Amino acid sequence: MYQLKGVTKRYMRGKNPVDALAGVDLTIEDGGRLVIQGPTGGGKSTLLQMLGGLDRPTAGTVELDGVDLARLPESRLTKVRAESIGFVFQSFNLIPTLTAQENVETALVPLGLGARTRRERAAEALESVGLGDRPTHLPSEMSGGQQQRVAIARALVKRPKVLLADEPTGNLDESMRDEIMDLLDGLWKEHGLTFVMVTHDSSLARKAPRVATIRKGKVTVTENAAA
Amino acid sequence: MFFTYLRRELRRRRKAALVVASGLALGIALVIIVSSVSVGMSKAQDKVLESLYGLGTDMTVTKAAAAQGSGGTERPRFEFDAEDDDATQSTDRVMVQGFQTLAAGTVDTVGEQDGVANAVGGLSLTVMKVDGQFKRGEFKQDESSGQSQGGPGGGQGGGGQPQGRVEGGGASFDVNSFTVYGTDVTQQDLGPLTSSRITEGRTFKASETDAEVAVVDSAYAKEKELAVGKTVTVSGTAYTIVGVSTADSGDAAADVYIPLKQAQTVADSKDKITTVYVQAADSQQIDTVKAAIQKNVSGTTVTTSADLADTVSGSLSTASDLASSVGKWLSIAVLVAAFLVAGLLTSSAVSRRVREFGTLKALGWKSGRVTRQVIGEALVNGLMGGVLGIAVGLAGAYAVTAVSPTLTAQLGSSGGGGGGMGGGGPMGGGGPGRQTASRTLDIALTAPVSLTTILVAVALAVAGGLVAGAFGGWRASRLRPADALRRVA
Repeated sequence: MYQLKGVTKRYMRGKNPVDALAGVDLTIEDGGRLVIQGPTGGGKSTLLQMLGGLDRPTAGTVELDGVDLARLPESRLTKVRAESIGFVFQSFNLIPTLTAQENVETALVPLGLGARTRRERAAEALESVGLGDRPTHLPSEMSGGQQQRVAIARALVKRPKVLLADEPTGNLDESMRDEIMDLLDGLWKEHGLTFVMVTHDSSLARKAPRVATIRKGKVTVTENAAA
Repeated sequence: MFFTYLRRELRRRRKAALVVASGLALGIALVIIVSSVSVGMSKAQDKVLESLYGLGTDMTVTKAAAAQGSGGTERPRFEFDAEDDDATQSTDRVMVQGFQTLAAGTVDTVGEQDGVANAVGGLSLTVMKVDGQFKRGEFKQDESSGQSQGGPGGGQGGGGQPQGRVEGGGASFDVNSFTVYGTDVTQQDLGPLTSSRITEGRTFKASETDAEVAVVDSAYAKEKELAVGKTVTVSGTAYTIVGVSTADSGDAAADVYIPLKQAQTVADSKDKITTVYVQAADSQQIDTVKAAIQKNVSGTTVTTSADLADTVSGSLSTASDLASSVGKWLSIAVLVAAFLVAGLLTSSAVSRRVREFGTLKALGWKSGRVTRQVIGEALVNGLMGGVLGIAVGLAGAYAVTAVSPTLTAQLGSSGGGGGGMGGGGPMGGGGPGRQTASRTLDIALTAPVSLTTILVAVALAVAGGLVAGAFGGWRASRLRPADALRRVA
């Protein structure tokens, strides 16, 4: 369970301080699904970085299962990212020289698993996203949707507690968008993940049970009983 | 995963890898070529010195230079008797080279000094042989006063002095000079003869201390049509040639070698020597031994190989200076430039891969693992550069050896000073010891590549890779995953 209290992130823009996050309080239950939306520059990605332990707040606490990520030493924070958090990015962020299977394996490298175990688990993950027949394809040999599937397989192969997605359908056309969202929803339900997604897409936000809207660093959470 | 990722990345960035590897290769190849040429130069210098001293000699001891005017005024003097008309006359003079001798006992005194392993004496001689004939002039009387035969001051004719002039007449003499070295036949492992090998016949026997036998240099033997079994005459004594020797490089130390005692006899220098050849017990202690001899054996000059090397001039010296100064600094400059270029290119490559490394960090890769990946790639680039550099360097060194440019070494006159032969001295030069004023040797340059040079090249390649990797690794280690992802968002 995530528990954020008074999270502030201050940047200096020239000589002027800018609060990307201004005293954010937010709770996300285990297995919960939260969509973060808001205008560009509103602090969506900054909030996601705090949740993922990619950055530290200027003030406040970001607790994951009672552990404050903001105070955790770098080595332990890296371990938390390696074991508990899966990321899906807007631009897929696959390593261009590695095959689909090898890209998925990169998420297992920090866990210290043997090569054989890595191969087997990567193959399973690819199978689960419908790409079991393309393990040796390079990213450049796949469509955008297929690349995002590989990225999702990479995020889930380590069996994380949390899945964080930053505009996962931002670079995809509408049909591919629905396909990827169906996949993510299915996996969320199947694995019982805590799923947090940043999106610009209002249609996706409407389908979410809980939406955090962020404006000028302030978060407003709305529940969507219909979703 | 490490090697798979490494291989794929190097393949993807082939051009950049080639640029980095080529830069390092150029530097490494230069280092190999310059090092091997320097070794070749050093070997050439050693050959020059060996041709003078012979193998194993660390220093020579000669008589200290006499004060100017006291020792340099001796000149050979030739006297011919008035003999029958047109008769061929011949005479030769045997001179001690430099006219400076030491007592034979000096060898023992030197041999007793601390640090001296072996000491052997030798006597260097120059023989000038003059042979030819005088021809009387012919007196021609003027027509008015009749004719009469006679040389200058010839008899007076009947009525008053004859009127006429002398025509023709004169002298025709051939001057032949050669060098003789009196060698201690009981200790032949030291001294000038060790720089030659016997190519025909045999060398001296230890028992031939006063035998009339000789070993002649092959070049002199060819010129004078000498061979084993024939004789060579030195100051009226015929020596049976028992062997022909050939200098390992350059000119031989002498034209004719005879036992020391025989040389002392023909030069009328009983118990005299010109040079003591000294072998030090420890090659690292040569300066100490030199100082001890100079202190304890008065009136001598000690010349080490290093002293003599300082007097080497000519193209060998120029090339050697060039290799050790310009070549060395050029190699260092190119290497430093190559290291910097490799480092900057690697750092720049990391900058272009911020998103990639940021993603890996987001996936839980430690900074150390990402840094190792970058260093690994740089190291492979360095090793590729090393392999390429070693190949080019070996080819360059092989080319130098194949072409074998000839270098000329001139040995200067400062290796002992004094003792010049003066205007009327013998021509040709050189012999052992300090009589090296006009000695010129042609040496073929080689560029031997040693295992050490190869190991240094490999070490440089690894160092180049590590320097480049350090640049890139430092850059990669400072990346924050959030910074990387911010570019994407």
